[in-house]
Amino acid sequence: MPIIMIIYYVITAYIVGMLIWNFVKEKKNIDDMILYLVILVPLVLRLLRVK
Amino acid sequence: MSRTWTIKIILIIIFIAIMIQSGVQFYMHRHYQLEHLAGPGVTRVEKLSKYCKGLEGTMADTHVFWLEGKEEGGKMLMIANTHSNEPAALLTALIFLENAVIEKGTLIIIPQFNNSGSRGTRPGDGYPLYFEIPTEWGSKKFRMGNRDATPLEQWPDPDVYIHYPDKQLLSYLDIRNTNRTWPGRPNGALMEKVTFAAMEILRNEKVDLALDVHGAETMFPVTNCIVAPERSVRIATMATLVVKAREGFDNHVEPSPQGFRGLSHREIADFSDSLPFLLEAPIPFLDQPTGPKTEKLLLDGKDPFLLSLSKQQKLFVPYDETGWPMEKRVGQHCSVIQEIANQFSRKNAERAILIKNVPRYADVVTNGVGFYFHDPAKWTKDKIYLN
Amino acid sequence: MELQIGIILAIMVVAYAVAKWKKLSVELSMLVSAVVGGVAGAFIKTPPVNTLARHLIEGSFTYLDVILVFTTATIFMAIVSESGGVNYVVRATIKYFYNLRIIALILLMFIILIPGALTGAGSVSLLVVGAPTALALGYLGIPKKKVAAILFIVAGLSAAAPPVNIWAMILCAGTAIPYVGFELPLGIPVLLLGIFTMLTLGWKKEGTMDKQKALEDMPEVPEKMTWWRVLLPFLVFFGLVIAYRIWPFDMPILGLPLQFVIAALVALLVSPKKINILVLSRDTVKRLLPLLATIAVVGSLQQIMTATGVRGLLSFTVISIPLLLLYISLIFIIPISEGVLTYGAAAILGIPLIWYFDSIGLHATVVIAGLTLLWPLGDGLPPTALIGRLSVMVSDYKDSYWSFLKSTWLPWIVITMVGILMVIYSAKLSFLVRWSM
Repeated sequence: MPIIMIIYYVITAYIVGMLIWNFVKEKKNIDDMILYLVILVPLVLRLLRVK
Repeated sequence: MSRTWTIKIILIIIFIAIMIQSGVQFYMHRHYQLEHLAGPGVTRVEKLSKYCKGLEGTMADTHVFWLEGKEEGGKMLMIANTHSNEPAALLTALIFLENAVIEKGTLIIIPQFNNSGSRGTRPGDGYPLYFEIPTEWGSKKFRMGNRDATPLEQWPDPDVYIHYPDKQLLSYLDIRNTNRTWPGRPNGALMEKVTFAAMEILRNEKVDLALDVHGAETMFPVTNCIVAPERSVRIATMATLVVKAREGFDNHVEPSPQGFRGLSHREIADFSDSLPFLLEAPIPFLDQPTGPKTEKLLLDGKDPFLLSLSKQQKLFVPYDETGWPMEKRVGQHCSVIQEIANQFSRKNAERAILIKNVPRYADVVTNGVGFYFHDPAKWTKDKIYLN
Repeated sequence: MELQIGIILAIMVVAYAVAKWKKLSVELSMLVSAVVGGVAGAFIKTPPVNTLARHLIEGSFTYLDVILVFTTATIFMAIVSESGGVNYVVRATIKYFYNLRIIALILLMFIILIPGALTGAGSVSLLVVGAPTALALGYLGIPKKKVAAILFIVAGLSAAAPPVNIWAMILCAGTAIPYVGFELPLGIPVLLLGIFTMLTLGWKKEGTMDKQKALEDMPEVPEKMTWWRVLLPFLVFFGLVIAYRIWPFDMPILGLPLQFVIAALVALLVSPKKINILVLSRDTVKRLLPLLATIAVVGSLQQIMTATGVRGLLSFTVISIPLLLLYISLIFIIPISEGVLTYGAAAILGIPLIWYFDSIGLHATVVIAGLTLLWPLGDGLPPTALIGRLSVMVSDYKDSYWSFLKSTWLPWIVITMVGILMVIYSAKLSFLVRWSM
């Protein structure tokens, strides 16, 4: 895999990490919890090289 | 456990379930192997990476089938699935692959040129993942692919795609479109390597005719036609006249534009000695104003919105209640390809390419596409290639 | 079939309205609309029920790269801001140009135009230079509502400006028209409309703040902050963008997200202040949540609309409108379609429209240029309102969104008129395309 593509997976993983951190930190707002998960799904599937 | 965490866990379970359900479907689609049955005409099988090492071990690599006649003659390259969401091309290539017998010259077939594209889906466009062609022994199942290669093979896209070597600016998406990356280069993006490898075949093997088989929307002016650069126009025109006179279907010639770069017909003409032709058959499924994008629409091409637009004279092909069924599209491709070879052979007896045992338009319309596909269970195992 | 699709469309609209009535956010309401539309479609197997989850998730991939661009660009600017760079630039602008108002306004217009013109994304303009420009405009005595309005319109124009116009590129890719000859048909109207917007919305100074008072009011800048510390990350970013233009076959393809990441690392290295990058990234992602969610959800909505046939019905309806009425309808259809579907609108409505206009003798390139002036306006319209919401966010405008939107009325109408006239008189304006080539 070309090095630049590997970096893109690292960037994606970093954003996934930030989204998960925010999801864990969220105490009250259920809407926001759902939205974090909505954004996470495509990013995680990309990280897993499924789609 | 707090109420917050209870909610979080419920949400996580729901999303993971959805992710697994869809993820498994994407994975199965990407890794579904289509059986290519090498017919009696096939003499050798290569990988495209032989012509560009950069493709080795990637999902962009694909099979190249050689059908060599007993007598030497000219050479013709047939490329299908340049756009993997225009499947009449693939079906046509497989009919040739399974049935053709070459009496003179050589036919080279690349059935899944953009292999990466065929293993991806088109986000936002709601395609089915597969389509099936009925045959006498059951049905043959195909992946429905995307126009562009998947980012799993080629990521990221640039903010704008700058075409090699002309530096024309094209949409960032087109860097994954193997009908915009011609003539390609060995050290460029992966899809530039794919087209470069094909150019190497054309140049090294001194191929006379290069056919790129496609489908185009009924609302697109360049549909139901052969796109040809200046030096291919004569043969293209003769081919359209002959199929009209003998087989009764319309097909016209469109000139290859000088100022639009990256297209196969343009760059093959400018960077090799081959005569390029791009074949377009109508595919209503790809039009924007249609009903749901179902397998049925893909196969029968019947749509009420297009019918209404046809009455308003907003389509570029004749369109009625019968739609544009797959057999008609594949049949047209079969006849036009054979007629281009005939016209070339008539004027170049030394370099003739004589193809036998491939159906013509009327045969495919009458018998259906699946009639020409053989049962893999009854085929010699070492003549089945998975792609 | 038409009736069934019409019913599904009605169900989707009702689902959205009920979700909003139940006080769900815009993003969740769109998601509800997509899910309910998909379920309604599943009753007639378009799409089959076992493919519903796949369609929703597949759709969310439509603009995956945009999610990466938004996140990396915003983290980059958050670092520049946190290091004191933004305040440093604003202070300098006011110091040197406070008394040369027209020059200050036009200079700020170019600062907003350039990032969007180079990348094709008005969002990049706002995320990269939006905050400092908003502050500078504020200190020039322009109220926040008008600052947000200026940012929205000029960022929209920056996205339409050459050399990179993504709507035009999508349309060219979909209609097999070469993406050439757009420099003058897009460049001239963008510059004229940009100057018009700056002058109409920004000329009048409100409040009594003079230069000295403005400078005193500004936040302090870290002592060690210098011009090169501010400029270096931007030079690196624009250097990478431009280097690919100059040496396209020698440069590796980095893509905008990586270019922003490199610039962010440079900004982090030259910052005079220590920055906790993890906390800053986490907070930035939290701030961006509504926008990122919108980008993901709009893709799912688009996919469900296609799988159910709703998208085809809308496209068919627009193409079937009689010509004169169609010209008038474009005033509404183009922005509204962008508001609902963002870039998807260019493919769904744009491609058949261009083929139709081309077939009746209009000049396709000029038509595309004209239409792409209208699409950015839709980025201020709900439900998505991507650029509108970003404009409000970076300009720190807190009042009603509608009141902000209303303040854009004059440039909105003028841009619309210019765009529509370009479409109607495209054949007569084709010399602009020839002169560009």
